[in-house]
Amino acid sequence: MAFLQLNALSKRYGAVDAVVATDLAVEKGEFVSLLGPSGCGKTTTLQMIAGFVDVSGGQILLDGRDITHAKPASRGLGVVFQSYALFPHMSVRDNVAFGLKMRKVPAVEIASKVKQVLELVRLAPHAERYPRELSGGQRQRVALARALVIEPPVLLLDEPLSNLDANLREEMQFEIRRIQCTVGITTLMVTHDQAEALSISDRVVVMQAGRVTQIDVPYKLYEHPRTRFISDFVGKANMLAGDYDALGTPQVRHEGGDGELTLSLRPEKIQLVDAGTGRVQGKVLDRYFFGSQWLYRIHTSLGEITVVRSNDGSPPLGRGTAVGLQWHADLLRVLAADEVHP
Amino acid sequence: MSRNGPLALGFHTVVVVFMMAPLVVVCLVAFTPENTLSLPTSGFSLRWFRAVFERADFIQAFYNSLILAFTAASLATLIAVPAALAISRYAFPGRNFFSALFLSPIIIPHLVLGVAMLRLFALMGVNGSFTWLMLAHVVIITPYVLRLVLAAAIGIDRSAEQAAESLGAGRFTLFRLVTLPMILPGVAGGWLLAFINSFDEVTLSIFVSSPATQTLPVRMYVYATESIDPMMAAVSALVIALTAATMIVLDRVYGLDRVLVGKH
Repeated sequence: MAFLQLNALSKRYGAVDAVVATDLAVEKGEFVSLLGPSGCGKTTTLQMIAGFVDVSGGQILLDGRDITHAKPASRGLGVVFQSYALFPHMSVRDNVAFGLKMRKVPAVEIASKVKQVLELVRLAPHAERYPRELSGGQRQRVALARALVIEPPVLLLDEPLSNLDANLREEMQFEIRRIQCTVGITTLMVTHDQAEALSISDRVVVMQAGRVTQIDVPYKLYEHPRTRFISDFVGKANMLAGDYDALGTPQVRHEGGDGELTLSLRPEKIQLVDAGTGRVQGKVLDRYFFGSQWLYRIHTSLGEITVVRSNDGSPPLGRGTAVGLQWHADLLRVLAADEVHP
Repeated sequence: MSRNGPLALGFHTVVVVFMMAPLVVVCLVAFTPENTLSLPTSGFSLRWFRAVFERADFIQAFYNSLILAFTAASLATLIAVPAALAISRYAFPGRNFFSALFLSPIIIPHLVLGVAMLRLFALMGVNGSFTWLMLAHVVIITPYVLRLVLAAAIGIDRSAEQAAESLGAGRFTLFRLVTLPMILPGVAGGWLLAFINSFDEVTLSIFVSSPATQTLPVRMYVYATESIDPMMAAVSALVIALTAATMIVLDRVYGLDRVLVGKH
């Protein structure tokens, strides 16, 4: 049995199903992300695991123990909130020591454990400060230290990075992953940011309208999105109509085809080649510069196609340039229709 | 912080002068050597202050007011804090009713309350009792505490409480170590406002106090209806001085910003 297991977990608010029969198994030491748009039930799921929201149906098992209806205090989980939720009237040291004091740990031991965890999150010099004197990133580290110091079996992160600016967010992503690997703690993170989920998770759980729609390792999720929604939500995708050829391989719709399939083709999987060659011809509509890459919007007979090309230093193609588009046929993904409509 | 423009500065000055001028005049009148309410022209005298301290009834009334305001404000706070927490976070049947009930004494004129309570206390046979005077004050000052605590309770980050819970805090520990410190500015500000309102109250107290429980404002009012002399000004000046001294001490020891605004 998995370390943390959700069996048909459900939450209903009046007539609204916030979470519908969700199954999930998280292995010990694993970093799993719950990814989805706002209102998809990911935060409710996390809050049920933490014990802040009553469960309507199903079971939560932690290391074989049923904690479905246990009080938050007796679950002993580490929780990090989007708003950091630090105690404003306590210093960094007292914030971090709180959980240990509740556990009646001897003062000497508290001092050494707090020191240790503050070193882990690189905040040792700021122990005497108050939350209001810290930057957003530092507050987040305090929240992390406070959750980790009690050595919880599972760390729950609720949108831990969404209040930080872009640069800091990336830095903190690596920081969270570094700390998680150092401690080896089982972690469940809720996020609406697909890049965040892909970059630091071992596995990503995509949720939509209260249901889990795909669980996969980040690479597989990106390369083999199951549905149209996932393909669009995780990374960028060109959606093309297609059908099966005589051999049963999917292909982009051609003359006479009925186009009953929806195919996904990632923008970076397409090469721009000389006009007259390639699978389809097009004209550059627009281009956008992202530093490491160029994004082209290209008008073709298949509709508008987005192509991402890494910036190799050569000058970009101008607007109106005629180009050919080439791709490997086996990079086309057949998407299932969305069974859930958010 | 942005600096005030000349217009705003002028406006603030006018407001401050408008509010302070009567206090300054009263304080000056208190030092008059004359027998009438007049600004001291021929020199300063402390005779009216001496007169105040020779009046045992005034001293007694001052102590009455002090004890009354302290106990009433404390009791009002004990009622208002749980009420505000319940109203701010739980949807329970009758929530709006209780919320309105707690705030209604602000709307009902004290005169009406005074007459009603006089009648009620007479029926109950408790006229002139200090306890019932104090409870009457609790009724009229609780709304002030409730308003401020409610504002504070709505403003706090609930997830900090959830964090404390998941870290192992029980209900009482949670309140003592996390919730109360976070709403403390509202609680302290509410208590202070309630204290001042109770200390200041005349209309209702006239009806329900007896000579033994007479408060300072009532004593002053009764005195002023009989005779007008600068002793009134001296009493007022003493009250102002005491208030100012309390504020200064509070600011030095604890920081008024911290108590009333919630800055740390």
